[in-house]
Amino acid sequence: MTRGRGAPAAPEIASDAAVSVAALEEVYRDCYDFESREVHIGGDVRRKARLCFIDGLVSGSDVAEQVIKPLTDPERFGAVTDAKSVIAMLLGGSVYVYTAKSRTKLGELAEDLLNGFCALIFDAERTAVTFEVKSQQRRSVEAPKEEKVVKGAKDAFVETMKVNTTLVRRKLRNAHLKIRQYKLGSRADTAAALIYIEGFTNEGIVAEAERRLSGIRTEGALTSSVIEENIVDNPRSPFPQVISTERTDKFCMNLLEGRVGILVDGLPLGFLAPGTFSQFMKVPEDHSGHFIVASALTLLRYFSVALTLLAPAFYVAVAMYHQEMIPTRLMQSMIEAKQQVPFPTAAEVIMMLLAFELLQEAGIRLPSPIGETVSIIGALIVGQSAVEASVVSPVVVVVIALAGIAGYTMPNQDMGSALRLCRFFLVLAAIGFGMFGVALGCALLLYHLSGLESFGVPYMTPFAGSEGRHLSRALLRHSMTDKKDREPELKTGDGGEAGL
Amino acid sequence: MKKAALLALALSLALTGCSPGLTIFSNYRHLEMIELVRTVTVDSSEDGVLVGIYGTAGEEQEARMYEKSGPSIGVTMNELTLRPLGREAILSHTENMLIGEDLAKTRLDEVLDYVERFSEMRLDTGLLIVRDGTARDLVFGLAGEETPASDVVAGLDQNIARLGRGYVFSCREIAASLAQNGCALVQCVRGEEEEKLFEKRGDLNLAPAGMAVMRPDAAVGFLDDRETLGTMLLLGRFRSCNLDIPVDDAVFTVSVDKIKPDIEPVFSEDGRLLRAEIRLRAEANLVCMDGLADVRSRDVRRQAEEALSQTLRSACEAAVRRGPALGLDFLDLGGILTRRAPLAMEDMGRPWEEVFPTLPVTVEVESVLMRTYDIIDPPEIGGREEGTPWEKLTDSLRDS
Amino acid sequence: MGKTDRLTERQLTVLIFVSLLSPMIRILPTAAVMLGGRASWLSALAALPAAAALTALLRALTKNAPEGLGLADMAILGWGPAAGRAFAALCALWLSLYGGFLARSAAERLLSTVYPNGTTPVFIVTMLAVSILAAAGLTKTLARTAEVLMPILLLVIFVVLASAAPDVSGENLLPVTYRDWKDILYGAIPIFNVTAANVYFLFLRGHVTMAGPGRRRVFPWLGLLLLIAFAVTLFTLGTLGTNLSITMENAFFMVIRNIKVFGVVERVEAVVVAIWIVTDFIFLSAILMIAAEIWKTVTGAKRRSFFVWPCAALSGAAAFLIARDAFAFLKWSDFIVPAVNLTFTVALIPLALALGKLRKKY
Repeated sequence: MTRGRGAPAAPEIASDAAVSVAALEEVYRDCYDFESREVHIGGDVRRKARLCFIDGLVSGSDVAEQVIKPLTDPERFGAVTDAKSVIAMLLGGSVYVYTAKSRTKLGELAEDLLNGFCALIFDAERTAVTFEVKSQQRRSVEAPKEEKVVKGAKDAFVETMKVNTTLVRRKLRNAHLKIRQYKLGSRADTAAALIYIEGFTNEGIVAEAERRLSGIRTEGALTSSVIEENIVDNPRSPFPQVISTERTDKFCMNLLEGRVGILVDGLPLGFLAPGTFSQFMKVPEDHSGHFIVASALTLLRYFSVALTLLAPAFYVAVAMYHQEMIPTRLMQSMIEAKQQVPFPTAAEVIMMLLAFELLQEAGIRLPSPIGETVSIIGALIVGQSAVEASVVSPVVVVVIALAGIAGYTMPNQDMGSALRLCRFFLVLAAIGFGMFGVALGCALLLYHLSGLESFGVPYMTPFAGSEGRHLSRALLRHSMTDKKDREPELKTGDGGEAGL
Repeated sequence: MKKAALLALALSLALTGCSPGLTIFSNYRHLEMIELVRTVTVDSSEDGVLVGIYGTAGEEQEARMYEKSGPSIGVTMNELTLRPLGREAILSHTENMLIGEDLAKTRLDEVLDYVERFSEMRLDTGLLIVRDGTARDLVFGLAGEETPASDVVAGLDQNIARLGRGYVFSCREIAASLAQNGCALVQCVRGEEEEKLFEKRGDLNLAPAGMAVMRPDAAVGFLDDRETLGTMLLLGRFRSCNLDIPVDDAVFTVSVDKIKPDIEPVFSEDGRLLRAEIRLRAEANLVCMDGLADVRSRDVRRQAEEALSQTLRSACEAAVRRGPALGLDFLDLGGILTRRAPLAMEDMGRPWEEVFPTLPVTVEVESVLMRTYDIIDPPEIGGREEGTPWEKLTDSLRDS
Repeated sequence: MGKTDRLTERQLTVLIFVSLLSPMIRILPTAAVMLGGRASWLSALAALPAAAALTALLRALTKNAPEGLGLADMAILGWGPAAGRAFAALCALWLSLYGGFLARSAAERLLSTVYPNGTTPVFIVTMLAVSILAAAGLTKTLARTAEVLMPILLLVIFVVLASAAPDVSGENLLPVTYRDWKDILYGAIPIFNVTAANVYFLFLRGHVTMAGPGRRRVFPWLGLLLLIAFAVTLFTLGTLGTNLSITMENAFFMVIRNIKVFGVVERVEAVVVAIWIVTDFIFLSAILMIAAEIWKTVTGAKRRSFFVWPCAALSGAAAFLIARDAFAFLKWSDFIVPAVNLTFTVALIPLALALGKLRKKY
């Protein structure tokens, strides 16, 4: 545990409670939510203690009911005259709070306050007792919003890390499930948890995750990128290298696969590492539906990757350089449609790709009902109007729409975004070099992907770097009754063999 | 930094594509400026060749025709493809090339070489020789308001195969045959004037006109319909045809559907090639019958089968005779016999070219009438002896 | 987990397989038909024993060499520092020139098949630029790229051959009798020559984590490569016939010119030619990487990437200067390059290894 930001490091609690409170007030200077008040122990005005807390972080009613009420009860504390005994009673459970800590350092005290504790500081004893009375004002667990669930658990992560760890713990009732806590951010002091199954998850991966989490240098881990970009092997790559999910079932399934999970307080997301390309093609529903259907859908997703990436580039190459590939009838109608359009093919495709991105961005940024409307109106009306006004050819609209729709089948939006970016790159290559450019562009893209590693695991496993084994695991979903193998690169403690 | 520099280099090359000479950008064609060529004609002219291209710039647009004469196909085609109303005609979708008979007799090799060498053209482009006229006139005659000449020509290969009157060989097949065998067959067509059944069709009708036998440089002979049928039967290119067979007082129309040629060499004890034996098994079906005949009767069927065998045999014999007459083994008998008995053929001591002109070839045909479709008996039209189904069945069993 | 540039034997084998697909398709079937005639469609199978024997010989020669030693290290050990370095440098020099030849041949192929109005420099420069990127990177990255590409290439070959199957005629392939064995063997020479190029990859042995004795990963891949060579020759000869094939530089791509895929796409040669560029990219990158690796060993430098640039420059110069036109290039392609390749792969390199073995250096 690191000390509270801004709190004096060394000073201990003074023998005069007022001095300690003054020191705390100095730490929380200009913090209107810092509160302190006097409490009379056992209702005796001569025996005083100072109660400090940060309003909002603690529950006022809990403080009153669980701490102040028993503390001021003459029957309970009336006969106790010295502060030492009071402290012993408090730590022994005389108030109705399940976590109580004895503190002698002001820094610890200040940090506890930030973590939803209230502090009771006594005169003369140089000791304070802190009680956990966190405010319960948090978002309740709801169904995931970004990752749709068709047939499966409908509890998504929330912003409170403790709730999230509880959700994980409920799904994986295993004493070997370890949750190590870290503090991230030199200023925000955000809590983060590293979760793994001891004795099963590869120790090298756990150690690497630990090293990377500890090595994060940031002011505050308030966004997912702070975590992702700080822990991935190649932050310059647009491709996601850790899996982020708001679905608890997906998170737990991956822990059971041998991955490590990371939860961060304030982020309704869980991060999983290592993240490999094939993992981004999977959705938890694959394990809910029939394995043949799930396998077909997985193959469809791979096809979608090819389609979203290559369709516009392929069209550009064919329409500009390799017209011989187009069947005669289609070619005739394409020529006819193109004769009405004043722009060259390259400009048409780039324009439509940009328009598509604009519509998508507008749809995301606008409030939900309007955003959806904009997307639909944009797609239907703008597309149709563009064709009617002969700004673009109908084939271009079809190709771009097809590529766009194929992109939406990506289970992970970060992967979808990366592919969209590469789509532009390939279109440019196609404009310059035709099919030669597309092929070389793809080769470069594959080279880039092959060079990526996530926590020491090749990104393209099992397509590369897995000795040719387990290829079917990536492309198909085996029956649950079959003996399954895990990704060998995860090197799990059980040797990679899953039970029945 | 290094990577960035290299990527920049690659991209700059792509973008400097606009500068001619350094780039592949010169392969770029504006889609809207393309004229799609579907049929090409080549005739001989005073200048050398008369080349015509026929195509459209769009599905809804009228078919257009352009022609130009020049000293060679390469030069003329180049001028022609760049000419049409400022559009660029592309030859990648050419389905058929029609060659006038005059040109075919003199410089057919140039056409083939052009197709093989010019990467834009397909090797599976069908090659046709136009008999008794020029290819240009034929295409002009075929073109009607609602029947583009290209569509008519494109539909021809299926029709010809179904009629048993030939086979539209592609440039690849012709080139391969020339390279392998020294000769090749090319389908011939002619334009026939027929009464227009509807106004919007062209003045001419496209009809098969046998086949041409060509050497690497030019066409040297033409096969009539019977020889063409025999050739198709022996080459295994035959698909189907309907033939009229006289049987007693009736005429059977049979569709010959399945042909299995078997060609075998016969050697003397000292290894000389004595003759080639051709055995052909034909399977036919009764399509219709003119007159009355009891098709259940084995005798009647045997008569029909013999008549069919005779027809097919005469076609095959005609084709076989034509080869030595032209001095070209267009049936590839040499190749077939070598494949049947490679060692014996190699050991016979004389080259095939010497043996071929005098080699006796026997043809045997076995025909089988397989079925009569759903109607076993013809409709009973007047005077036919009646009987119960049981009597008919017992008669039939007795006959067979 | 520091980045170490290690790859497994299988990865190296896949890298070799994908790399060799490039020259295999380039020379087949023309080179085999020129020497073997009609029966040359069997030559790929006939090349198998010779290719396997060479591979087995090299395995035997390098079996006891410690892990981490590349061919250049072994040459230095076997021949002594001066002669060994000179030999390795000679290999590097040749490989740089060979890289130029590969770039030029890829460019020539693009011109004769898909981009008739283009010029070779743009293709050569682009390919070299992209290959420098890969050659300067890690060996394992290139090997992994080959691993990802391999199923795609196999799928393309399968689809192309399946689509070409209806045009294949037995008449173009038969007869073949036992008397054709000499022709078949003659036809096997260029095919063997291509497979022998896998010897160059021994220079990367230092990066390979050995699977241990008893593993013979390379042989199935060699078999698959020759099976593809067999299928390509069979389908091309079966479609075009011997005499027509012999007249063409890129007979296989000529066959592809007629292929239609389900009536949706016609004439897929642009796609296939472009996809084959990817194998050229892998092979060229590997060759530049090997050349740079040799220079690194010869000079004792720490970084390989430094040498990639001069090697690529040499390749570029060779690609431009090797031949003025396609006719002159054909001479290089048909005679000079295969001859030098054979000299290195069958004579010099095995000799170098044998010498070290005899002197019990490894």
